[in-house]
Amino acid sequence: MQRRDFFKKLGTVAAITAVIPAMSFAADAKPTGPNKMDFNTALNAITGGKTAVKSSKVKLKVPEIAENGAVVPVTVTVDSPMTDADYVKAIHILNGKNSNARCIDVNLTPANGKAMFSTRIKLGGTQEVTAVVELSNGEFLIASQSVKVTIGGCG
Amino acid sequence: MVDFNHEKIKNIKDKKEEFKMEERKSLIKIKPKRYKDGEIVKVSFMVMHPMDTGMGKDKKTKKLIPAKYINSVKFVYNGKEITNMTVWESLSVNPVFTTYMKINGKGKLTVTYTDNTGEVHEKSKKIKPKG
Repeated sequence: MQRRDFFKKLGTVAAITAVIPAMSFAADAKPTGPNKMDFNTALNAITGGKTAVKSSKVKLKVPEIAENGAVVPVTVTVDSPMTDADYVKAIHILNGKNSNARCIDVNLTPANGKAMFSTRIKLGGTQEVTAVVELSNGEFLIASQSVKVTIGGCG
Repeated sequence: MVDFNHEKIKNIKDKKEEFKMEERKSLIKIKPKRYKDGEIVKVSFMVMHPMDTGMGKDKKTKKLIPAKYINSVKFVYNGKEITNMTVWESLSVNPVFTTYMKINGKGKLTVTYTDNTGEVHEKSKKIKPKG
């Protein structure tokens, strides 16, 4: 092997080794395809085995009777000063009986100013909607309310 | 020459319509409309998206509709990430994401969402505090 050939091969090897880890990191851990998840496993995945405390700080606003299960507005507000020392880290919204119990995980920062989040979710039938809140000191708070659905909105 | 001109005009019209559709695909709303520096405002991001779970059936062909749903949304203000969300399929069709935000000088708010099929969409709005 000549010296210049050796350097060419070295270059290609270096390029491949540089590309492979970048590709493996690019695959992000975001959900793809239809997922199936139980409520309890979802709650465990969020809290990591810790017990979530029921608290009046978390206010969950859901209609008691939803005529259409396809569009159910949900609002979660948390009493928090939202400073760098004490803020709400994440808000999770869960449902009780859909095939996937997780709806959305929201990661907040002190730049938000107020700890509030609202969306619209789908519900397959009459069930409980739960909000799990993670504080910056590692505590978990929980609030839930049952919703009566007259027409299911899944599928 | 005349045909050429017609084609040109048609092309411009098509492009305009495409641009309009792109605009209508998503919307950022800030409440109140007039705000000062340091104020906390409500920001809502609305998207036109089917949010198919992968379990519903087409009524005519009776075949499963493949899953197509948003799986992540990011709010970025002046290069700093404010809020980031992991989304699952049980959100409603054409979802709305509403949070609060602290105004901190002139700049730009950019919201991006990605799809489970790999679609990426970006929308931005200028932020001009008055007074």
